Amino acid sequence: MHFAIALLLVLALACAASSLITQNQTYAWYSQRYSERTAGLIMALHLDDAFHSPWFIAITAFLCLNLLLCNLLRLPRLIRRTQAETRPESALKLPGDVSAQGVADPGAVFQRLRMPKPTPCKTGDGRDALFAARHPAGLWGAWVCHLGILLLILGFSLGQMTQQQYTVYGVPGQIKRIGDTECFLTIDDFRVDKREDGSVAQYTTDITVENVASVGTSGGSASISVNHPATLCGMKFYQNATGWAAQVDVYKDGKPIQQEVVCAGDYMSVKDKEGLVVMLNALYPDYVMTPGVGPSTASDQLNNPAYLYSVYYQGQVIGMNALMNGEEITIDAYTVTFSNPQSYTLIQVKVDRFTFLALIGGLVTMLGLALALYVQPARVWAIRQDDGLWALYGQSRKGGALFRERFNKAIDQRSQDHASD
Amino acid sequence: MLQIENTLFTIVMLAYFASMILYFAFIAVKKDAVARVAVGLQIAGFVLHTAALVCRGIGAGRLPLTNQYEFATSFAWGLCLVSLIFVIRFKFPVLGAFAAPVIFLIIGYAAMQSKDIKELMPALRSNWLGFHVSTAIIAYGAFGVSFVLSIIFLLRDRMKASGFLDQHIPDREKLDMISYRSVSLGLLFLTFTIITGAIWAERAWGSYWSWDPKETWSLVTWIIYAIYLHLRLRKGWRGRSAAIFCVVGFICVMFTYLGVNTWLPGVHSYA
Ligand code: HEM
Repeated sequence: MHFAIALLLVLALACAASSLITQNQTYAWYSQRYSERTAGLIMALHLDDAFHSPWFIAITAFLCLNLLLCNLLRLPRLIRRTQAETRPESALKLPGDVSAQGVADPGAVFQRLRMPKPTPCKTGDGRDALFAARHPAGLWGAWVCHLGILLLILGFSLGQMTQQQYTVYGVPGQIKRIGDTECFLTIDDFRVDKREDGSVAQYTTDITVENVASVGTSGGSASISVNHPATLCGMKFYQNATGWAAQVDVYKDGKPIQQEVVCAGDYMSVKDKEGLVVMLNALYPDYVMTPGVGPSTASDQLNNPAYLYSVYYQGQVIGMNALMNGEEITIDAYTVTFSNPQSYTLIQVKVDRFTFLALIGGLVTMLGLALALYVQPARVWAIRQDDGLWALYGQSRKGGALFRERFNKAIDQRSQDHASD
Repeated sequence: MLQIENTLFTIVMLAYFASMILYFAFIAVKKDAVARVAVGLQIAGFVLHTAALVCRGIGAGRLPLTNQYEFATSFAWGLCLVSLIFVIRFKFPVLGAFAAPVIFLIIGYAAMQSKDIKELMPALRSNWLGFHVSTAIIAYGAFGVSFVLSIIFLLRDRMKASGFLDQHIPDREKLDMISYRSVSLGLLFLTFTIITGAIWAERAWGSYWSWDPKETWSLVTWIIYAIYLHLRLRKGWRGRSAAIFCVVGFICVMFTYLGVNTWLPGVHSYA
């Protein structure tokens, strides 16, 4: 137990400390933010990705081992204890946590304590006795809670180790391969629903997914929106983000030779000229140029679209500027134009076969906690004394002072009842 | 509707303030009748507070649980609810006297926030959000009560024995047990909060746990209270040490609620 508490404390401290350091940055970033020495320390201790670091995994693994051993070792004792809890023999010898003498009507006290109907039995020395036990399931709370936590950590870890994650983005009409899988995603439609005040209410993409390796087996179509993912081909599709895209046309000597829709941040290679690449750095729907500040957009409306581009040849930048609708870039015999600005959709695709295990773990933990904290096992027994009155005893492993108070109240009420008789 | 909510909110603040003053008066003059009026006023404030939240919900067309103002006023509501339950269940108006300033502070913080109703971004439009935040309110409320009880516990040790004390503050063991009950309630609801939050995050962002600072700190809080439970299992850790631990736990709760939003960036920065 001491070891488990120490590990839990270390885990809490590790989590707290790691949350104070911005995660997943580079050495350069940390040395600029802190100092070179601190940055070196952060990198050496893996504090830049603390939650996936060997020491964090080791603490968690120790905790799991501790929990597993604790649960395994306690299981036989717990089964024995649960059986004993409902058997009078184990109780009648005990002094109880609380007791009262001289009770005339023990049945009424059992009732007031909301115990089940007591079973008549005999003590070792042959006296009449009554016994009732309530909620023995409460004994299992900690065990079930620990089991839930184990399942939760197992589900989470297996998920982290085996999950596949891809990002697909594009505009309606495009067909995209999902990562290196055999599945292809068609973006059938993409809608941005706006409210009267112009704020976005919902993003929705209609998609069709097909597995070319096993045609027609598990593909299909679905509509996905934020908070409403869909599962197709064994993968889960989430509406994740949006951005701007534009149609890029390339002409050679005035004749069209290539046309593609390019998303902001993405590039297009000119097929006719190896090494020539056009990149759409950003798209400003309502372009304004403020001296000293630079380019920006005044609104989300397509009032005055401008395209910020770069052109590369053999890896070297050969041009960079902002272009308006209808303007063109000329590179030798090639001309490039941007037009038809539109929203693209960004879809996250995920395969995590162990999410359900983590969910079950979470629910089992909840159940265990409810059992541990709210289901109070209790047993009450009565032994007839020589004078014909009864001695009453009560025991509750978790009830403590509150159980004793309720017990005494039930007894007091008895004497009040007597007084009014 | 929002106009009504505004008026109700002002009345609620006054009612909580008046009940706080009456609770203090009860401790000063040691008259049970004053305590009864204080509890009555707190109940009236609570009923009006509930009405104010309902009005805001109707006015906004959604659950009033999505920005700093709404969460702060709901937090005060949750603390008021849980403290009233404990005050009435354990006939313990002194608890009310200690909880009242905390409730007043939180509702005062709410009053300083912007009450504007902004339309929700798509990620926040989810039923899971309702479960997530409403369970958080009860959890925070219960931890708040355990904090107040622990303060009473620690002060009781320093106070001279008197008839008033014995009559109105439960003995050490019972006080400790009541505090344990409120931690139990808080921990159960915090677990619920974390699980519903994870389900919501999975649906909205495709990842049920991303070590976002708010997630991490709610886990830290959860672990702190889990440690508290384990320490209680060893006899020596009841009473004073457990009370100190509860105070530390509540500091973690407040950091998760306010500190994370203020100092650490993450997906929860809007709430
Ligand atoms: C908040 C939820 C939890 C509850 C209600 C809980 C409850 C308990 C209880 C009642 C015991 C004592 C059982 C006995 O002595 O009969 C116990 C022991 C223990 N707990 Fe927990 N626990 C929780 C979470 C955890 C966590 C998160 C860990 C670590 C990952 C953990 C690790 C342990 C260990 C190692 C023991 C010692 C087992 C032994 O001595 O045989 N528990 N817990």
